Amino acid sequence: MTSLMRAEFRKLARPLVWGSVLAVAGFCVLLTWGAANNARDGLARPRIPDVCGHAATAQCRHVIAQAHAAARAAAAATSTLAQPGEIGHVAAGMLASLPGLLLIALVAGGHWGGEWGLRTIRQLLSRQGHRGLVLTAKWLTIWCAGVAAMLSCWVVLMLAGPLIAAGAGLPAAHGGLWAGLGSSAAAAGRAALVLGLFATVATAAGTVGRGQLATTAITAGVFVLALLLAGIASVGRISPALFVQAWMGFPANGYLPTSFWSRSAGSGQPIGQLAGLAWMSVTAAIAGLLARWRFAADVTA
Amino acid sequence: MDVIACTRLTKRFGATVAVDRLDLRVGAGQVYGFLGPNGAGKTTTIRMLLGLIAPTGGAIELLGGRLPDPRLTARTGSMIEEPAFYPWLTGRQNLQVLAATSGGVPAQEIGRVLGLTGLSGAASRKVRTYSQGMRQRLGIAAAMLGRPPLLIIDEPTNGLDPSGIRDIRELLRELAGDGTTIFLSSHLLAEVEQVCDRVAVIVRGRLVDEGPPAGLGVIRRQVRVVVDPADAGTAARLLDRWPAERQPGGAGHELLVRHDSGRDVNAALVAGGIIAESVIVEQPRLEDRFLELTAEEEIRHDLADAG
Repeated sequence: MTSLMRAEFRKLARPLVWGSVLAVAGFCVLLTWGAANNARDGLARPRIPDVCGHAATAQCRHVIAQAHAAARAAAAATSTLAQPGEIGHVAAGMLASLPGLLLIALVAGGHWGGEWGLRTIRQLLSRQGHRGLVLTAKWLTIWCAGVAAMLSCWVVLMLAGPLIAAGAGLPAAHGGLWAGLGSSAAAAGRAALVLGLFATVATAAGTVGRGQLATTAITAGVFVLALLLAGIASVGRISPALFVQAWMGFPANGYLPTSFWSRSAGSGQPIGQLAGLAWMSVTAAIAGLLARWRFAADVTA
Repeated sequence: MDVIACTRLTKRFGATVAVDRLDLRVGAGQVYGFLGPNGAGKTTTIRMLLGLIAPTGGAIELLGGRLPDPRLTARTGSMIEEPAFYPWLTGRQNLQVLAATSGGVPAQEIGRVLGLTGLSGAASRKVRTYSQGMRQRLGIAAAMLGRPPLLIIDEPTNGLDPSGIRDIRELLRELAGDGTTIFLSSHLLAEVEQVCDRVAVIVRGRLVDEGPPAGLGVIRRQVRVVVDPADAGTAARLLDRWPAERQPGGAGHELLVRHDSGRDVNAALVAGGIIAESVIVEQPRLEDRFLELTAEEEIRHDLADAG
């Protein structure tokens, strides 16, 4: 297995994977920069209703004060989240939501579906006929690519976040580095399990699609469908998107978006965090069994 | 000991029978040719030998053990159809990846197979820059990695120039000399004639002939008769006890008689008062025999369908 993993990691080191990780890291930086600019603009121009623009009533003075307070709070929260300790939440949230899903779908498409597209699956299976081992190695490498992307994002954001916050003129952040790191590490741990679920579905998608584009499309399609289902009251509770939402505890709104998930999954059908984990495990087990069953079939590539 | 033993091996895809009760025996150290037209079931058979697809019926023994057994297929070097590689890796890296997939080989083994296939100079280039011939050589190098006791190779000289073809044929003979068993699927009958010890011919998934290449031709010898054009009609009448055909372009005085004795043919002509210009017993090349067998099987199949 060690030797097989070495081979799989060697294959994983390719432009497609580097490019995808770079794109996700760049997206995280852009998102932080955008959020910092929004907070700066909010400070400069708080959201004051037009009706209070010229009126000097007591009610308007109260509303204006509230708007300034809200803008200061948003700027302070954004500044705090942009600090090296806390910014791990952004990396974890992004990788456990649509950007991470897209990364896993692309990596799985190239690394697993591509074995059929390039027809290298014949060499692979004639040299390593233990198909369970091959599946495990593929799953593990796809998952590792996701986790590595998350850690890369975190490192990039640790360097870029404080600079972006300072550049936007946000107020100095308060809060301990170590407490922030601990909180971020917990979020990253939860995200790693979500990436495991994405990787399991992607591995199953490879055995069903048996091609690069098909694997990418099926992986992304399954979760986009799950997100759509999560918004439907009658079936939302059985949607894997809701399980991810519950496990990660994504807020419906935030000053700096920490995921691209909750707005689609909605927040009106709450299930507990552990229930989310349990149902994620069930979903992964079903995907794993599907992968084993499909991969036992003839390989005619 | 048989290195490959297939017993009533069958593979169906829905209603289509791709391989039909195939019996094959390949002895240790042999270079065994596997011939058949497109769609005959050659590749399906090879895929079953390598554990890529499961037989519908029958049994396969490989290297003394019964399939399915991943340990046995991992001990087999193979190249199926066009060799496939990871284009973003170099030739050497591709071999390293393949070696690691099956448990690893000593570092010098990769250098050895690159040297044998003449790829040492190109080993550091990305495979996407390789010509088809270089990919073919790399495919053979990959099959030889780790000195497997059995090589299963499909069309090994595709895309190679004449000197490359000669090199690969010599290499295959050398490997066979060292005790490696080679199962060679090819449509180049000359290649099979030159390289193989035994040949199996498969048509519509069924084994239709098997034996040494020369033996396949001996089964049906033929006699080429040239007579004076004025005697052509009489000669044809005298020889009509055997199937015969006039050769196109022979100005009507050349006959090809489906019989294995030149003495019989000549005696029949002489008894009828015809002196032949020449009577030559020909041993058809394997290519002719192969086409003949294929046609016979097609007719038999068509008749079975009609019946």
